[in-house]
Amino acid sequence: MKATLERLKGFFGASDEVIQRDDLVFLTVDKENLVSALTYLKNEAGFKHLVMMSVADWLEEGKFQFTYHVNSHELKKDIALRVFINRDNEDMYTIHTLWPTAMVYERENREMFGINFPGCPRVEENFVLEGWEEMPPNRRDFDTKEYSDKTFFPRDGRTTNDPREYMKEKLYSEEEK
Amino acid sequence: MKIKDVLQPFTAWKNLVKEPITIGEPHKREGAPRYRGFHQNSMDKCIGCGTCEDICQNAAIDMVPVEGQETTHSDSGLRPKIDYGRCCWCALCVDICTTGSLTMSNEFKWVEVDPDAFRFIPGADKKPWDDIEAGYDRADHYELHNFEREDMVELAPEVRDHSFVEIVQGYSKTQAQKEADRCVECGICVATCPAHMGIPDYIRAIREDDIELGLKILYETNPLPEVCGRICTHNCEAVCSMKYRGDAISIRWLKRYIADQVALSDYKGILNQNTIENNGKKVAVIGSGPAGLSAAYYLALLGYGVKIFEAFPESGGMMRYGIPEYRLPYDQIDKDVDYILSLGVEIEYNTRVGKDITLETLQKEYDAIFAGTGLHIGRKLPEKFLPGSDHEHVFAAADLLREVTMGQEIHVPKKVAVIGGGNVAMDISRTIARLQKVKYGKVQLTTTALETEEIMPADREEIVESREEGIVIMPGWGPVKVETKEGKITGLHLRECISVFDETGRFGPKFNEDNTTFVEADMIVESIGQGMDISYTESLGDKLEMGERGKVKTDGYYQSSLPWLFIGGDIVQGPDVIHGIANGHLAAKGIDKFIRGEKS
Repeated sequence: MKATLERLKGFFGASDEVIQRDDLVFLTVDKENLVSALTYLKNEAGFKHLVMMSVADWLEEGKFQFTYHVNSHELKKDIALRVFINRDNEDMYTIHTLWPTAMVYERENREMFGINFPGCPRVEENFVLEGWEEMPPNRRDFDTKEYSDKTFFPRDGRTTNDPREYMKEKLYSEEEK
Repeated sequence: MKIKDVLQPFTAWKNLVKEPITIGEPHKREGAPRYRGFHQNSMDKCIGCGTCEDICQNAAIDMVPVEGQETTHSDSGLRPKIDYGRCCWCALCVDICTTGSLTMSNEFKWVEVDPDAFRFIPGADKKPWDDIEAGYDRADHYELHNFEREDMVELAPEVRDHSFVEIVQGYSKTQAQKEADRCVECGICVATCPAHMGIPDYIRAIREDDIELGLKILYETNPLPEVCGRICTHNCEAVCSMKYRGDAISIRWLKRYIADQVALSDYKGILNQNTIENNGKKVAVIGSGPAGLSAAYYLALLGYGVKIFEAFPESGGMMRYGIPEYRLPYDQIDKDVDYILSLGVEIEYNTRVGKDITLETLQKEYDAIFAGTGLHIGRKLPEKFLPGSDHEHVFAAADLLREVTMGQEIHVPKKVAVIGGGNVAMDISRTIARLQKVKYGKVQLTTTALETEEIMPADREEIVESREEGIVIMPGWGPVKVETKEGKITGLHLRECISVFDETGRFGPKFNEDNTTFVEADMIVESIGQGMDISYTESLGDKLEMGERGKVKTDGYYQSSLPWLFIGGDIVQGPDVIHGIANGHLAAKGIDKFIRGEKS
């Protein structure tokens, strides 16, 4: 494990090591080093299992964060590689050639965050949001509430009251009389 | 077709006699202890602030009236109704709940034929999970609210106890924005504010750093923001929805922050009041206190020619002649007043209506009159209730405060006793304590209140700060007699007060005659309330109808029984500044209606 981490840091330029638990380490790599680092982990270091891949939107920093979480069954250790890309350049390398299952993650993240994974098969197909026409809903600038209000409200039988206006009506609407 | 293919399906029949491996309903599988299951709401704790509705990303919550939940000043009477067709059980509504009334049980099974049944009011519509203890529980480090009020920088006791420099220093921009950020904009406070100021709106303006918009919002309902930003009784803060789990928002200091940021010279441009068309009508205002100034401001905006008649040499009424300078500096009153005067409002000082000019003259010369002459007569207990109170060194607080403002030297002996537990008692105590500190280098002043400390009417901060300045406060004591020796006061006899109000809530103190004490003093100050002087209305006789408790009878527009005479301020409501501002504003609207013939 130690040699693997050294290799990641030395050869693949990994940095910002966070030892989350004894068996889980986070490292950050550049986008350009990601595929080669994951290839090394899978083919040479024994981290053969892709546990998951996820995306987070750091709106204020203008970044998307990718996390690739891999596991070594022999070592009983996990390594997670983080990659940050600029939010306005939403292209990411596909890793479906390493793990075919990554295709599903990439398809989902394309739908939810609008990230392109050129070369990934079936990535353009709908994942869960059939007929979606808004901005990708997991982007932080997507206004969920506004969408809900527009789409789901008012619904038959539903009415609401603003506390401030309601209290005015109840408590002091008679004042000017 | 082979015979096997025909018979194969029947082999499944053997399962008919087998024990099923699935779990039948109802099964008893509980949710995890911290499961985010169905909602619970405590009807008593909930104040109907609607913050749950605001945060719900799925628009699943409506605020609806519920039978048995009355609308009061601290409770809208509304309760959240949740649409489980929309809810995703994210628990944001529980996390943001200002009172902690909304919770989640770990129950997760609910079968119903009618789909509309899944829209329900937790707590009001009884459900089997209402009393389940287990359920969603926020992790300790995870909190959406900031419960702590931004600290105000104040002068330390040793710096302020010998001077009249303003104690409260005001918020910086960073502080104000941080404090404004705590507000959930529920608007519960608006009903309580007598002027119904747009409190959530101006707090939002601070958060968004739009001070000009903030000032406009303030002036919509309150033309004395520098004053109110300092000494308002801030009833709004007493109902603030943030007070239940933390500190109420510092609404008063935020208001002051807005007014403090803008120079007087910029007001007209921001408020867009450079030109006001004069409508040729004239209104006289008696008294330049908060009510009179408020009426004058809103009348001036409507185009009326307004002239204020002020008995004292300067404007402000009780704001200047009652409230000490360390709480409300005179230049801040001047800023608010100067703006009102800049709109063309005239003011004639040293002119007491009823003495220097008669009400009849005003009635002839003006189209309407607004009187807000306030409560300037300091009450004193008569000799029969407090033997010795006729002594020349027994004073009324209001008189002394006025004399200090006027720059007159007041009698300040080494030992003083003050009777009273309200804010005026604190004002005179702290004023005399400062003068003692300057004159003798030390404070020897005792303030006695009938009320116990918990129910003393003075603001908590006034009590705390008074003590910091060396004043001894004795709650729960009533005066018996002023002791004199060879014509000089030597002290005040006191007896224990066991209750202040009777069963009906009326003032009727009861005493324990066996428990008495004595406070040494060379001078006594009584701060037991103020009375009004409306002798200028004497000539009206019975035509001016009186209402309850010796107050002049007025309608919703503060119009008296004489249509041309409107009366407001402390003499009809309050006493405090913000009621005066509110009814001055309403009176201005009423006067406008009266003059335009829309109101008899």
